[in-house]
Amino acid sequence: MFRIILTLSAVLGMTSIVFAENVPITGTVESKCSVSTEVDGVYGTPQPYKLSTATSDGGVLPKIRFDTSQAGYYLARITVPSSFSSSPSLSDTVEWTGSTSVESMSDTGMSGYEAAKVTYGNTTDYDLTVAGSVWINVSSTATYGVDTSMPQGEYTAIVVAECIAQ
Amino acid sequence: MKYIILFLALFVSPVYSHEMTPTYPVFDQSYVSGLSKTSVKLFNRRDDVRFYKIDVYDREWNKVQFATENQLVIVNYLETKTIDIYVRNRDRIKIEFICTESKLVKGEVKSTGVSSRICSRIKRD
Repeated sequence: MFRIILTLSAVLGMTSIVFAENVPITGTVESKCSVSTEVDGVYGTPQPYKLSTATSDGGVLPKIRFDTSQAGYYLARITVPSSFSSSPSLSDTVEWTGSTSVESMSDTGMSGYEAAKVTYGNTTDYDLTVAGSVWINVSSTATYGVDTSMPQGEYTAIVVAECIAQ
Repeated sequence: MKYIILFLALFVSPVYSHEMTPTYPVFDQSYVSGLSKTSVKLFNRRDDVRFYKIDVYDREWNKVQFATENQLVIVNYLETKTIDIYVRNRDRIKIEFICTESKLVKGEVKSTGVSSRICSRIKRD
């Protein structure tokens, strides 16, 4: 009897070992790009007729991060605002200026990004030739009319950050 | 050292990102005659965005007609969604880019918002 119980226990024990599943962790390495918003910008109002994201004007610069897992597959494109996405009713024209600049990078090989950037109109292109992360600051300024105060209300504008496969 | 910095940047800082794969999708014949199909995978790590718009373009960035379940897709925070895209076989040759663009909800954007767009390029044999 004891021998039978011992044998059954051994068989059940072996069975339970079979039931102990391995938990696989799978992953795929492939080229990809992700666009991250590190800081949402805020307009400061240094003058009644001016909105600016510059720190010296009381604003906060939007900061965008581009991550690429493999070099040379993507182009980063940033378009600074040229209109408000929402604002009070404006009767005068708004003059827009904006720029982008590389703030930091994960690889020293990216140090040439700023010099190699291509700007046309409101858009700037960075060729992501090195794998890793690059942080880009965006500045935006809106100047309203000629010595005219902006109407009271909330103003919002959108920065467009793109990753385009090459 | 650079990999440590990259790791810290990717996994430690509180970031909100938009990710799409593959970089180079390929169109295959679909089960519907006259239509080709491809799929892209969208991962939403932006907690401020739920809506993503899909667009298909030719080399000159002109829009090309396509069909999908919803052109405006709801992808919740940390959710991955696979999107099937169908185009006519005769349009397949001119398609160059498939893009997903985050759509910001009016009223939720404070001062300046960032709209992200990722474009994959069609792989040619």
